[in-house]
Amino acid sequence: MVSKKVKWVAPVALASIVGLTACGGGSSSTGDSSKAADTETGPVEFSMFSADPNPNWVGMKDEVGKAITEKTGVTLNAEYAIGGDTQKIPLMIASGEYPDLIMPKGDTSKLVEAGALVDLTDLIDKYAPNIKKMFAEDMNRLKYSKEDQSIYIIPTYNGVGQTSFDAGGGFELQLEVLKELGYPEIRTLEDYENAIKEYYAKHPTINGQPTIPMTLNADDWKIMIGVTNPAFLATGLPDNGEFYINPETFEVKMHYKRPEEKEYFRWLNKMYNEGLLDKETFTQKDDQYKAKISSGRVLGTINQEWDYSEAENVLKGSSDATMQNRIFGHFPVTLSEEYKDHSFMDVGFPGGYGIGLTTNLSEEEQIRAIKFIDWMASDEGQVLYQWGIEGKHYNVENGKRVIPQEIQDRKTKDTAAFTKETGIGQYTTMAPHYGDGVKDATDNYYTTNFPEQIQSAYTQPEKDALKEYGAKTWKDLFPQPEELGTSPWGAAFNLPAPSDPAYTVAFQKQTDIVRKRIPEAILATPDKFDAIYDGMIKELNAPDIVKMEEIFSQQVKDTVELWGTGK
Amino acid sequence: METLTPGGTSKNSPGAPAAEANAGKRFKKPSFWRTALQQKYLYLMSLPFVIWAFVFSYLPLWGWTMAFQNFKPAKGFFAQEWVGFKHFQELFTDDRFYLALRNTLAMSVMGLVVGFIIPVIFAMLLNELRGMLFKRFVQTVSYLPHFVSWVVVAGIVTKMLSTQGGAINDLLVGLHIINEPVQFMAKGEWFWYIVTASDVWKEMGWSTIIYLAAITGIDQEQYEAARVDGANRYRQMWHITLPGIRTTISVLFIMQVGHLLQIGFEKQFLLGNNLVQEYSQVLELYALQYGLQMGRFSYGTAISIFNSVVSVILLFTVNGIFKKVSKESIM
Repeated sequence: MVSKKVKWVAPVALASIVGLTACGGGSSSTGDSSKAADTETGPVEFSMFSADPNPNWVGMKDEVGKAITEKTGVTLNAEYAIGGDTQKIPLMIASGEYPDLIMPKGDTSKLVEAGALVDLTDLIDKYAPNIKKMFAEDMNRLKYSKEDQSIYIIPTYNGVGQTSFDAGGGFELQLEVLKELGYPEIRTLEDYENAIKEYYAKHPTINGQPTIPMTLNADDWKIMIGVTNPAFLATGLPDNGEFYINPETFEVKMHYKRPEEKEYFRWLNKMYNEGLLDKETFTQKDDQYKAKISSGRVLGTINQEWDYSEAENVLKGSSDATMQNRIFGHFPVTLSEEYKDHSFMDVGFPGGYGIGLTTNLSEEEQIRAIKFIDWMASDEGQVLYQWGIEGKHYNVENGKRVIPQEIQDRKTKDTAAFTKETGIGQYTTMAPHYGDGVKDATDNYYTTNFPEQIQSAYTQPEKDALKEYGAKTWKDLFPQPEELGTSPWGAAFNLPAPSDPAYTVAFQKQTDIVRKRIPEAILATPDKFDAIYDGMIKELNAPDIVKMEEIFSQQVKDTVELWGTGK
Repeated sequence: METLTPGGTSKNSPGAPAAEANAGKRFKKPSFWRTALQQKYLYLMSLPFVIWAFVFSYLPLWGWTMAFQNFKPAKGFFAQEWVGFKHFQELFTDDRFYLALRNTLAMSVMGLVVGFIIPVIFAMLLNELRGMLFKRFVQTVSYLPHFVSWVVVAGIVTKMLSTQGGAINDLLVGLHIINEPVQFMAKGEWFWYIVTASDVWKEMGWSTIIYLAAITGIDQEQYEAARVDGANRYRQMWHITLPGIRTTISVLFIMQVGHLLQIGFEKQFLLGNNLVQEYSQVLELYALQYGLQMGRFSYGTAISIFNSVVSVILLFTVNGIFKKVSKESIM
């Protein structure tokens, strides 16, 4: 019986193998033919994956996209991750099928370990004069690690030489609240709380619906942006992800272990128990949060503007003047006067997330791809995707680039449609670029974010509020970089995460603990707060998490050595 | 176990195996190749499906070898480091694994029980309706939610249970059952019930269809005979309708048990939040977070092997029990 079975299994297996190889051959040959083209400017298509979502991508059918294709011959077939999608890259690794260009965000180390990324050191040296010029001083910061000094990723998320001109973070208060209370000083948690309390007492409803004194976005990973990161910001630390790094010894510990942060969370606990913090804070989803913001009923939130700007745009576009005034101002609020908000600390060029080439490309194609990225890094390329097309999206008057008012209005109020149509802002993270405040050879800024531009982009209510505070931008209210010192390791959240399971598993474990205990502590009655918080610290002192801290500490030390920024 | 005889249908009637055995004694059993030759067209027709099953269900099993290695994607098969049962040891000593297992089992058993009883009752009640138009209407309305994706359902559920203008809270407060809105989504111990209830809402009508179809297959004469014997509506339902669809119920039940550990994770993922993670973490989410997302392919594979092995054991156990007790089984 056995032999009989074997006899018929063999042809089946054979047939299936033939079938499989046939399929495999087919797909790879089509892939090659589309790229086998003239190495200079002939049409070529590159596939690309980005770990960030981009709902406005229209496949280079926008005006800037068409211009890029015209100049370089390159069409990008881009795929963007959906939401907090973190399985896409591991899946690519498992299947061994990579896109040509990749922007892996935090998953770089997984790709490096899988041997999927191309070392760009020589390619940049030979074929990319613009990139070379741009990173001249910071080339060391592009290197992967002390052991493996290859360049796998060209940082594109952070602008080179970036100076921030506006604040998007800090603690947010509604402009209408400020106006009603006569623009009080908002410096400490107490100021912030009092402003909310006072306005709430006077206006328990807005437009017939209950006022929400304060709500936070705590959905999934955004709990870090809205709930846990503000704990270190309010206690005078720069953003180093989940870690506190001792600037002298480079010892690392979870930032929750700092006693002052416990006081911050105690404040949130108090706000909750006084009915000022929205009861739904920890159960609402992202869209519910945004719906609340766009209803204009939220007096205060703690967030980054990029997370809620979509909802705020609804208010900006409202025809009602009071509703237009229900957008937020940004304040450097801290636990008490002794702390300084470190949002604008100078971290040097932080390196960080960017774009890489995969082994999916042949050597010839790699050259073509790096030349494409290099063109994007040229002055011509940068002005194109930052400013748009001359005569259409900006004009040159007396040698200065100027954005016409109607274009600026659309940009501020109808952002999504404007981006889809023009493509301005779509290509910025695909190539290294200069940051805000850097000027090109024509004495114009590379980006459209510069002091005058930012001020003219503010809506009238924002201008009015800023005037009352004697400031031109929200950033003027924050401690300036000069008072804050520098960081030898850049920003720790930009360093590649170690891929050692001893680190990754413990990191996930730590995430689970924090995301469960912090909400629990905040929602507890005040007498139980201490027990829950101390319990969390005890869990975070487990040997595997301490080990994780040590691994990261080593990473920081290696980085400082590699960059040569140590003392 | 009874095998599928080529060209024939599987025999579920209890007498079948015995009859076959007798036949084997009396006649010389035709050789495999002779039968094959006689039924060559049937074989040829089934061949694509055999290949399909082999390629998509059996070839991938090769990947199970990963669970015994420290799998590194870039290396070839022979360059991998073999570690034996290391990943399984790690799995079985991880508290979070047991937590995920508990939640998975709790939610699937609750789903299994409720998701069975309610559609059966609903089908029997629908069957008793006499107004054809009304019956159709109710049926259509009841299965419409099946076509709504979980993302939307999760949105509806969260909104309904919200403390600010959520319908359920408004109703309960309005009826003075509670004094102030309850935060349903923040209570971990309620999470299982919320998931089960939303699952019932979404799938009840859809699962009913198959029972309704089975009911139409029941001979009307049996009802007439019962009425002659003086059986009322309830008696008819109990003694004719229910036994009439018993086979369907047990077949579906056995198949569902095989999927006990594979309840997916959309519901839990979409309805859950950080506060209830102790009750919402399920095995597949665990495999995703602690396996795939960290690039620990070997660990992920170990979890999936555990899943498959337990599922197969469950399936055979339940099948065996049904075979013994009710003489109905799917294998």
